[in-house]
Amino acid sequence: MKNTCRFFTRYLFVLLTFLAFPAFCPAEVQTRVHSWEEAVKAARGQTVDWYMWGGSPAVNQYVNGYLATELKKEYGITLRQIPVKDIAEVVSKLVVEKQAGKDSDGSVDLMWINGENFRTCKQQELLYGPFADKLPNQHLVDWANPSVKNDFGTPVEGLESPWGSAQMVMIHDSARTLEPPRSIEALLAWIKTNPGRFTYPAPPDFTGSAFVRHIFYHAAGSVDTWQGEYSQATFTKAAEATYTILRDLKKSLWRQGETYPESPVRMNALFADGEIDFSFSYHQGEASRNILDGLFPTTVRTFVFDEGTIGNTHFVAIPYNAKDTAAAMVVANFLLSPAAQLHKASPQVWGDFPAIAAARLPSPWQENFATLPRGPATLDDAELQAHQLPEPPSKILVELEKGWIEHVLKNR
Amino acid sequence: MPRLQSSAMPPAGTRRRTSARRLLVLLGPALAIILLLFGGGLLLGLLQALGQVPSQTLSTIGGQHFLHVLQDADFTKSLTLTLYIAITSTVIAACISVVLALGLMRWAANSRAINFLLQIPLTVPHLVIALSVILLLTPSGLFSRLFSYLSIISTPADFPLLVNDGWAIGILIVYVWKEVPFITFMLLSVLKNMGVELLEAGSTLNASRGQRFFYIILPIIAPSLGAACLIVFAFTFGAFEVPYLLGRTYPLALPVWAYKNYSDIDLLARPEGIAIGLIIAAIVILAIISSQLLLHFGRKRGLSI
Repeated sequence: MKNTCRFFTRYLFVLLTFLAFPAFCPAEVQTRVHSWEEAVKAARGQTVDWYMWGGSPAVNQYVNGYLATELKKEYGITLRQIPVKDIAEVVSKLVVEKQAGKDSDGSVDLMWINGENFRTCKQQELLYGPFADKLPNQHLVDWANPSVKNDFGTPVEGLESPWGSAQMVMIHDSARTLEPPRSIEALLAWIKTNPGRFTYPAPPDFTGSAFVRHIFYHAAGSVDTWQGEYSQATFTKAAEATYTILRDLKKSLWRQGETYPESPVRMNALFADGEIDFSFSYHQGEASRNILDGLFPTTVRTFVFDEGTIGNTHFVAIPYNAKDTAAAMVVANFLLSPAAQLHKASPQVWGDFPAIAAARLPSPWQENFATLPRGPATLDDAELQAHQLPEPPSKILVELEKGWIEHVLKNR
Repeated sequence: MPRLQSSAMPPAGTRRRTSARRLLVLLGPALAIILLLFGGGLLLGLLQALGQVPSQTLSTIGGQHFLHVLQDADFTKSLTLTLYIAITSTVIAACISVVLALGLMRWAANSRAINFLLQIPLTVPHLVIALSVILLLTPSGLFSRLFSYLSIISTPADFPLLVNDGWAIGILIVYVWKEVPFITFMLLSVLKNMGVELLEAGSTLNASRGQRFFYIILPIIAPSLGAACLIVFAFTFGAFEVPYLLGRTYPLALPVWAYKNYSDIDLLARPEGIAIGLIIAAIVILAIISSQLLLHFGRKRGLSI
């Protein structure tokens, strides 16, 4: 309500501005990007207002504790975390600022972003840069990895800098299921021979929707098709095949597919209670954490499909009207430093999957990452990275979610 | 019987008339807040439901989103389900509450403990009860395990489906569980003030139990009962979390449908979400107005309600 009010006053302001200056055009957006040396010099004494989703105590602790201390010590930068419920709020704030012609001294210096929100920002030209290629730590990132190069199908092109990543893993109990099916094909066959022992959260739940995308890749028989230009007809054909597979699967699902868990949390509970034999998570470390928390038995393990599982990278980006662009660049670079990434990857801190490729690190650091304590159920980075599939464009994601509701849930 | 009504509701014609100006001064601050926050929110919601999309300067205002929702084949299904849940839970809760209130009446008149005990469930959020129902009544829940342990059923999976089921039994259980203390509490406060004199008078005149209930107690508790039922109906009709957790994936209760649309990744689904929310509000308001009208005509016809 408050936001909407603010929106209306701004809207009014824009309207008045246009009325007052009929020849008003938006000022030319400042495009020159600092070189790295300039950035480091200018950054000292600046304050970076970092807007980010603030729902995880572990992340908040990492940002306000480790990162803030190190940045102050090393670069004289004050890091201020501004927690938000959804970064989309910040994106719409930027849209309004752009409409109002507020092209400098914006309040947002850095934001934690990916997927749909990045696409909106890129389309509306709300981003500073390309700046990512100016950062020295960028050489640690494997830009050939399709899930880094494209953010949910949108080419990154240096407009955001990677921070970490997540990958879907299947979860099973090795005491119950000795030999889990290691491909989508085998999983579908397993479900049919073991009716009632599998389910997935109903899309548009994030995790359930990711499962449907795996079936989509399987039905389409290709992953790369969707990263470039594809025809609507090809998509429709693949989507139809996806719905057919899932409709056929329904009677073999938990409760004959008459109802689905509403969240991965509920699916995990069903799994832990022995009602179903598999769970899955879009966070490779979640199963281990659940073992530590006593929610899962210690025999629980994770696996990835031979053809790979979908992963995505989360990034930081700088708005076009940010006040402290130099310091924001330094922060983005520091986030990629081996020390910061290692600290972040530690299960006691956050357990986030690193955005840098271990192979590109000097050997002592490789050692550090390799010996990082990971939970009993978490796969090692090399195996995960070798089995990583990119996300399709968000347009496909949305279409599949809608199509699933229409054709699978409602059976039309 | 002004003395009897004094605690439940002010009598229709107050003898000491308050001047309009004084009334305005007294109610002004509260009304202003309600009008601003409630009315303002509704108005902004209505604007967005009519197609006013923030961040898009050019948008057409019109009823297309409402039309789209009303024409959706699922609308009738969702409405039926929501009405079924709201009406059934209200009726069941009301019946249990009346019996409970009558049973507790004598105790409650003297004991503060009963009143205190009744207030405890009022403080527990619906969400907690909904989660308890999941823990207790799902096929992997406590009861099913207990029954299979006692060999009443052979495996936990044989336990009847009470959650995410076709008849919304789980949802009804939560609402009945939660609303019974509320209605009972409302009724007890009236019954406490009624005293026992009228009932004693009734029995000296040879009124049977049933007669005493229908001619003495019911007319006295009716206004409170009606008001409490309305609150319960309005709440259960518009509440989101219980059908979200305990309902089936399809069909959806109206509030869950509204939420799904509002939180859709596609921003264009938002106006429809708000439109559904406003339809919910309209139905509840309509229910309140029509029940008030019914009461009004009832009073005119000389019913002592």
